[in-house]
Amino acid sequence: MKLPLEDFKHEIFSLREEETDSRYGKAPKDRSISERINYGFILLDKPAGIRSKTAAYIAKNIMTGLGAKKMGYSGTLEY
Amino acid sequence: MHLHSEVDEQLLRDTFDKFIGKIMQLPPVRSHVKRQYRQREIYYSDILEINGRDVLFKVGVESGTYIRKLIHDMGEELKVGAHMVELRRTKVSTLSEKDNLVTLQDLDDAVYFYEKENDDKLLNKCLDSIESAVDFIPKVFISDGAVDPVCRGSPLAVPGIVKFNDFGKEEVVGIMTLKGELIALGKAVMSADEIKSFKKGIAVKTDSVIMKIDTYPKYEKIN
Repeated sequence: MKLPLEDFKHEIFSLREEETDSRYGKAPKDRSISERINYGFILLDKPAGIRSKTAAYIAKNIMTGLGAKKMGYSGTLEY
Repeated sequence: MHLHSEVDEQLLRDTFDKFIGKIMQLPPVRSHVKRQYRQREIYYSDILEINGRDVLFKVGVESGTYIRKLIHDMGEELKVGAHMVELRRTKVSTLSEKDNLVTLQDLDDAVYFYEKENDDKLLNKCLDSIESAVDFIPKVFISDGAVDPVCRGSPLAVPGIVKFNDFGKEEVVGIMTLKGELIALGKAVMSADEIKSFKKGIAVKTDSVIMKIDTYPKYEKIN
């Protein structure tokens, strides 16, 4: 029971080899929790009966204490 | 799915099999798309449980398939009518409910433990990096010098691109650093093949910027 694109891997074309300066930015896997609060992603199990927007709003309110500034959501199930 | 009358189980299973593959579907009266028949593909459809008139099933469909309508159409096919009672998304692209799915209560608990007891174990599980949300879209990886302009919303030109996935014109692409951080989402002005053959020109128009300005320095300061 697999969707057609479930195991899809994007092919990579390289134009040139280039190094990246380790002084700037940070690879996603090295990000600390406090950094992930503003560059994070939550897979939320939304309860039935409330709107996605409301769920995102509640989640944002929970996270604002930690310094989260913005939160949005994606994925519509109906409509 | 709730059937409006008793149905023979074999007939029900046969009808489910009929609705696998390409089907034609008319969007519901209240919908956000034009109401005309369109083709959608049903990849699989499995009955998990039958309890009297209630049927629990799992279905994998192409994006833009209305499940409420699918159930309605199956009800018509069975000549008894049916309607949808509950719907749950179990997976989408690379994400599934087997991953770290969190409820609002889980999140609240995790934040409490992190704030009050300095325990980051739960929050670590809840919070994934933003890149995992865009796993499925094609990407372009750009050199350090091009990061700052893109952060400020400027479009991405060919010389800034180091490597890229295959994509067509007008497709949504993720603009990434060489470290794999998401900078912004944009719309492809050139297809991947055009990027290979052109030396200059705008390749991707920046739509929404995720990375903060000043994460990477201005171009002049790098050299």
